[in-house]
Amino acid sequence: MAFLEAHNLHKTYRLSRNNHVRALRGVDVTVEAGEMVGIMGPSGCGKSTLMHILGLLHSPDLDTSPAPSLVIDDTDVTALDDRERTRMRAERMGFVFQSFNLVSTLTAAENVALPAEYAGRRKSDARAEAMDALRQVDLGEWAGHRPMELSGGQQQRVAIARALVNSPDLLLADEPTGNLDSESTGEVMALLHWFNREQGQTIVLVTHDTRVSEACSRVLTIRDGVIT
Amino acid sequence: MLRSLMRRKLRTTLTVLGITVGIWALMVMSAMANKLTALVDGGSTYFNDKILVSDATNPAFGFGYVPMPVGIVDEVGAVPGVAVAAPRVHFMLDPEDAGIGFSASDFVVAFTAGVDRGHETFRWEIAQGRETAAADEGRRVVMLGADLARKFGKAPGDRMLIRGTEFEVIGVLEPTLMFFDTTAVIPWSAGQEFLARDPAVLAEFGPEPPELTSMVIVYPEEGEDFHALIQAITAAHPGMRGVTSDDFDDQFGSTVAILNAIILSVALISIVVGGLSVINTMTMSVAERTREIGIKRAIGASRGVIMRELVVEAGLMGLIGGLVGLGLAGVVVYFANDAGQTSGTILFLMTPWIGALGVSFSTVLGAVAGALPAWNAARLDPVEALRFG
Ligand SMILES: Nc1ncnc2c1ncn2[C@@H]1O[C@H](COP(=O)(O)OP(=O)(O)OP(=O)(O)O)[C@@H](O)[C@H]1O
Ligand SMILES: [Mg+2]
Repeated sequence: MAFLEAHNLHKTYRLSRNNHVRALRGVDVTVEAGEMVGIMGPSGCGKSTLMHILGLLHSPDLDTSPAPSLVIDDTDVTALDDRERTRMRAERMGFVFQSFNLVSTLTAAENVALPAEYAGRRKSDARAEAMDALRQVDLGEWAGHRPMELSGGQQQRVAIARALVNSPDLLLADEPTGNLDSESTGEVMALLHWFNREQGQTIVLVTHDTRVSEACSRVLTIRDGVIT
Repeated sequence: MLRSLMRRKLRTTLTVLGITVGIWALMVMSAMANKLTALVDGGSTYFNDKILVSDATNPAFGFGYVPMPVGIVDEVGAVPGVAVAAPRVHFMLDPEDAGIGFSASDFVVAFTAGVDRGHETFRWEIAQGRETAAADEGRRVVMLGADLARKFGKAPGDRMLIRGTEFEVIGVLEPTLMFFDTTAVIPWSAGQEFLARDPAVLAEFGPEPPELTSMVIVYPEEGEDFHALIQAITAAHPGMRGVTSDDFDDQFGSTVAILNAIILSVALISIVVGGLSVINTMTMSVAERTREIGIKRAIGASRGVIMRELVVEAGLMGLIGGLVGLGLAGVVVYFANDAGQTSGTILFLMTPWIGALGVSFSTVLGAVAGALPAWNAARLDPVEALRFG
């Protein structure tokens, strides 16, 4: 069985009683461990929706036939409750967002330490792991700085360190370079590529940027809620 | 935690201030109630073993001021059920004092030490000097209650004028939290000297008045029913009245009950005001941090973690408000009591209990008030929350 197998994922957003958006209309995805998969497609086609489902932030529609299935590393996650999903997010998944999403009141190191604390690590251990992760993204010197004091590229590298601090099985990145200039885009992509190649980090990333997708081992294209 | 409070200094300050005012009011009121309760309890306890018999025309509750020939003492003592009847002269230190006040009056009490023949169960503690003794009969010496000694700034060895007559202070009592604190105790003989010069006494009894008493302190025999005994005494001596602890409770217990009701309302108001302002602040704080909460949830913070963070933050506001309120209340009580010393009345009784209770109350209040916004925050859909701001 592949590392990640998703079958028949649908997602319908209900806007009102008889007005809804079918963001996903039967998606099947398979990701092997160690792959770096790119997801592309026009705006509004459902890329983020898929990422939220793969990242256990949302559930797929459950009333489809056949029923959806999502198995990550032999765990059937459609059956998990909020608590277990949260735990899995903390321990086995990493997220990188387009808009960095660092906690503005916390320093870089404190941001990176959060998932480690949520995974149950002692504060001092979490702190040490955070420092290691920051050094891996070459930001050891910036540990004590707040997000406001960092450039966009640096913030995204902090976000990558935060996503990887617990050595997750799966790194999900939704347009990680969408807010970056081309120089920072290059840095961030090099970093992701390095983690994938050198550490075998499994990565699924969404992008509009063909330069980015060229770095992926495989590219899936979504159109109108289905993979084409 | 502190950091996120600091981030919104003004709002946090106002919220904390809201709690502060509530807790401050609560503690000042409690301190006042505490003092009055102690006063009333003390009085009630004092009356527990005795009946105060005096002329029924006396203006104030309990204490008698109207002089009677001392022969009444033996007559009352002869009533079956009375173990000991002891005379006591009681008058106001200040001749102008009408004696209607309850704790505000300064009293002079004259009796021969030991006249209760060991039946008195109330014990005072001597702070300085010694207490009056039977051997002091014939001398002009005085033992002062704690508040009186402070009011007049007297210590043993000092001289002091009582209604124009010079007395030597021989002792000062520890605070009793009852009327003895504002009482000057003098020998029976000295009391008689005052009565013999009193115009009202001279008018009634002529230039050579007999030995007089203003009260008969009755110590009933074991197992005697106090009210039955009062009836027996007043039946034998119409025009007299008897008062014991039940009457005292009837008289003053209701005052304390009303006061406690006021305290309770202040507490309720402070719950509502403080609680609402914490709810308000935390709701705004949650709204402002929706995105942050979304981030934390997305990267693995459980609902419990989010809840705990916000509840602790709200509790912290309560704790700070409580501590500041306690501090302010302490200052007010200190200065009010300090000012009160000149008049001899301590108005407030601040105990560690009131402080601890007030502070824990406001901490719990903050946390409870923060729980609702925190719960709402914890239930946010992380993806929705991330879309915010
Ligand atoms: N919470 C929501 N409620 C209603 N509709 C939604 C919601 N989230 C997404 N949609 C809709 O679902 C569709 C897919 O959205 P999604 O965000 O997955 O697209 P996307 O491929 O990530 O687009 P983009 O490239 O612009 O990020 C869109 O039509 C969008 O409007
Ligand atoms: Mg998107």
